[in-house]
Amino acid sequence: MVTTTATTDKPKAPLSAGRVLILLDGSRLSHAALEAAAEIASARNAEVLGIFVEETNLLRAAGYGFAREVGGSSGLARPFDAAALEARMQALAVQARSSLQQTMAGRGLVQTLKLCRGRVAEEVLNLMQPEDLIVLGRAGWSGIPGSRLGSTARDLARQAPGDVLLWAAPRTQRQDRVVVLLNHDQGANHRAIRLGVEEARRSNQPLSVLIRTNPEDDQRVAEGVRAYLQSEGIAGRVKQVPVASAHAVVRVLQEEGATQLIVSRTSSLFADRGAEALLSELNLPITVTP
Amino acid sequence: MAVPAALTESQIYHRCPPEKLDFETTETLEDLDLPFGQDRVLRALEFGASMAASGFNLFVLGPTGAGKHELVKRFLASHAAAKPVPPDWCHLFNFQQSDKPGAIELPPGDGRTFRSDMDDLVGELKTAVPATFESEEYQSRIQELQEEVNRRQQKGLLVIQEEANANNIAMVSTPAGFSFAPMRNGEVIEPEEYETFSNEEKELVEAKVEDLQQKLQQAIQQVPRLRKEVRERVHQLNEEMVQLTLGGPIGELREKWAHVPAVVAHLDAVREDIVEHAEAFQDNEKGAPTGLLNRYRVNLLVDNAETLGAPVVYEDLPTHQHLSGQIEHRARQGNLYTDFTLIRAGSLHRANGGYLILDARRILTQPLAWESLKRILFSGEIRIESLERLYGLATTVSQQPEPIPLNVKVVLLGDRMLYYLLAHYDPDFLDLFKVEADFEDDLDRDDSSYTLYARMIATMARASGLKVLDKAAVARVIEHASRLASDQKKLTAHDRVLRDLLAEADHWACQDNQSLISAEHVQQAIDEREYRASRIRERSLEQIRRGVMMIATEGAQVGQVNGLSVMQIGATRFGQPARITATARPGKGQVVDIEREAKLGGPIHSKAVMILSRFLANRYAPMGELSLSASLAFEQSYGGVEGDSASVAETCVLLSAITGVPLKQSLAVTGSMNQHGEVQAVGGVNEKVEGFFNVCALSGRVDGQGVLLPASNVEHLMLNEQVREAVREERFSVYPISHIDQAIELLIGMKAGVPDADGIYPENTFNRLVADRLAEFAEVSKKHDDDTSGSGGNRGDNNGDH
Repeated sequence: MVTTTATTDKPKAPLSAGRVLILLDGSRLSHAALEAAAEIASARNAEVLGIFVEETNLLRAAGYGFAREVGGSSGLARPFDAAALEARMQALAVQARSSLQQTMAGRGLVQTLKLCRGRVAEEVLNLMQPEDLIVLGRAGWSGIPGSRLGSTARDLARQAPGDVLLWAAPRTQRQDRVVVLLNHDQGANHRAIRLGVEEARRSNQPLSVLIRTNPEDDQRVAEGVRAYLQSEGIAGRVKQVPVASAHAVVRVLQEEGATQLIVSRTSSLFADRGAEALLSELNLPITVTP
Repeated sequence: MAVPAALTESQIYHRCPPEKLDFETTETLEDLDLPFGQDRVLRALEFGASMAASGFNLFVLGPTGAGKHELVKRFLASHAAAKPVPPDWCHLFNFQQSDKPGAIELPPGDGRTFRSDMDDLVGELKTAVPATFESEEYQSRIQELQEEVNRRQQKGLLVIQEEANANNIAMVSTPAGFSFAPMRNGEVIEPEEYETFSNEEKELVEAKVEDLQQKLQQAIQQVPRLRKEVRERVHQLNEEMVQLTLGGPIGELREKWAHVPAVVAHLDAVREDIVEHAEAFQDNEKGAPTGLLNRYRVNLLVDNAETLGAPVVYEDLPTHQHLSGQIEHRARQGNLYTDFTLIRAGSLHRANGGYLILDARRILTQPLAWESLKRILFSGEIRIESLERLYGLATTVSQQPEPIPLNVKVVLLGDRMLYYLLAHYDPDFLDLFKVEADFEDDLDRDDSSYTLYARMIATMARASGLKVLDKAAVARVIEHASRLASDQKKLTAHDRVLRDLLAEADHWACQDNQSLISAEHVQQAIDEREYRASRIRERSLEQIRRGVMMIATEGAQVGQVNGLSVMQIGATRFGQPARITATARPGKGQVVDIEREAKLGGPIHSKAVMILSRFLANRYAPMGELSLSASLAFEQSYGGVEGDSASVAETCVLLSAITGVPLKQSLAVTGSMNQHGEVQAVGGVNEKVEGFFNVCALSGRVDGQGVLLPASNVEHLMLNEQVREAVREERFSVYPISHIDQAIELLIGMKAGVPDADGIYPENTFNRLVADRLAEFAEVSKKHDDDTSGSGGNRGDNNGDH
């Protein structure tokens, strides 16, 4: 089932890049992510596509007479009824639509909301193009205290054809850097750096490019990055960091004062098993490029 | 009775003998530390200042301008110098009861050190504690804690999820939590399909779902406990870190202040409090809140670091707040805040351990100040109470500082009237002010006092930065001091008057371009001062000169005499003659005091008139009835008449009226008289004599006039140069009289006469005339009475007797 709504009060502006997709589920974090998406879309002058997915598993689960909903904070069980859930989902959809409209209209952006039913990750992947950016909260409703990556976020980060921004509410204002983390030998480096430059410019924050380097690697990669930054006319800090454990990377990021992290999916960092958990503990918005 | 001889110049003026002044100028004279002649005050001060028992506070009484303040300050300064310096007092935050700041006592001078130590500590807290929280060690320990807790939380959920998955049950996130449903290949089974399951299968699934739900519930309900645990562990960690950080500085301070247990206890409380509020120090953006840090500061209430000996404090505005201290407020965005650092000391705090000098009149005119002072003295401790709280006007939460024990001597300065009124009307007064230090108004003038008085003058001149006085000037000041004391054997002790005189003399010396103050300058100062105040006196003399006010200074007149009165306006007094007249005719033995009848006479005057009427009756009609209806009046007197100093004059004028013998108008009379005709002393004799002299001088030349005054007043005479000159040239006489008969003889020029053994006065004496005349009156009255009784007795001679 696919419904489409669009506000087209304005003539369509020519799109420089792909669309900005925003996954809405009515959770608090998705609202925060919506704001971030609007900022980015506004900077890119991109079309915005809101996605609201009604999870099939959830709807099915509500169909069981014996089903109970256990409160995420209280732990109290209460009847879980299909009709009530339907109504709730509808209300959430309406709310998602109105907040999307409000947020985007304020910036004069073209927006569309897609309501889908199915599995969230699948639906998003279906809608996404390689040049698109998908913005979503790092975790959805199941905001389990201690916050880990939600399953949807994890799936998208691993599989999306385009960039994935996993939004998290930044904790303090002490950090003020956009940090791009690269592999020394990474083929997709240019995409991450380009995104980093764009973000640094948009958010008016300094940029750091960290390159995971082994001692035997030559210095040309760093030189190349510097040259690129220079050609873009942006002053950035380029640092070479040793290839070490994910824990060490997290520490380096903290020291660097990162407010945003941009990292390629192919980064050797993800070879480390605990990397995702560690990154989520940083509580930073993380953009994963393909 | 012999007529007394007129007084000589040396009798009416006590010169300062030059040989008694053993110096040329006051430059060579040493300063006088304490005034002489004030032994009573000094002994009282000495006693009061040394007496340790409570309630022995002092009241120094004396007229204003007598130099009480100066003397007390000087005395106490020298007395206090030898006493120990009292301790410092600090108010500190009370960590148990924040609205009751504690007070601690420190050795003098230590208060400042303690305050700066605590300021340093606060400075260190600002940097050291946040640094600790920023340290690698702390951060990673906190992170470990967080991670552990997260792990434990997630682990609980993950275990359930895994168990569910293993049993083909999906754990689905819902908007508000979680739900369980049977699944196949990672997807929840359609409920319709589930319906096709066998009952056993369904039971199995549902039982498992039930089981999982319970486990999930338990796991979720563990979360608050976990959170609490983590909070506790974080707190514990914070304490540990703060203890380590503060161990050094607080340890050093504890060691430094080991001799003051209260400080050590406070330091321990501070450490506890910092640990308690460790989290507040973590914000290294802004640092710990100032409000929190200020609680560790010290409010140094009393700082005796620079005090030498016991403090001597003079409070010139003794309001309730200035005495007992106050709690100030700070306005912040329209609200008023206060804390223990805004407690301000009062003068009682500052004088604690020493002396507090207060003006009695000022403290009595300040609302509640007197009551507060008494309350504090009674309780022996200073408790700061705001006026609005005392009045019950404000009930907002405020500070209630710990009372500070009080050990102070209060020295009140005031005039005598205040002392006696307080003693009479305030029951607490004599309990609290047991030492009465009564100031001497006048000093004895004897051979030994000249040098001391000269030194006092020298001290005064030096203290006021005046020129040096030469010997003659000092002599003139001493003579004037006697005149001010109205006594040849006294010198005034009135500090202000003397100072003013010296200052004015200095001014005239300056005008005269002289480097020394000489006698002429002193005289000029006296004359100028008199001239400035002479407007009313001049007007009064003018009235007499122009005949508006009738005063005769020549000739003789029946039933008319010159009395002498003194007018006081502001600080100046001057004498003025007053015409007193009398009438006499037969009657019921009454003397009518017209002044009293007109309600212009005071009670003392009435008493004097009654005395004189009894004197007449007793003297001239001891055995018979006094048949007299007489009246007495002060002519052209429209104000009140008070005092008995006219009773000699009134007796004389009345006798003149009875006998028809005229009185000399060239003499004026003053003196009071008792029932036996003895003349008694009166006040203001100098002004009276000079006043009559001035009136006599109006006609151009004084010749043959004089004044009669009580012999006991002779030593009060210090008459001015003009009078003395006339006395020297025998143009003006001053007669000392001790009995009414002397006055009669002088005024009438006739023997008064002494009665023989039968009480009969000799022939050709004045008293015989009086007695005979009164006998005639009695005769007439008797005859008259007989006539009227014969004709029905409806006419009585009561005319004018009321």
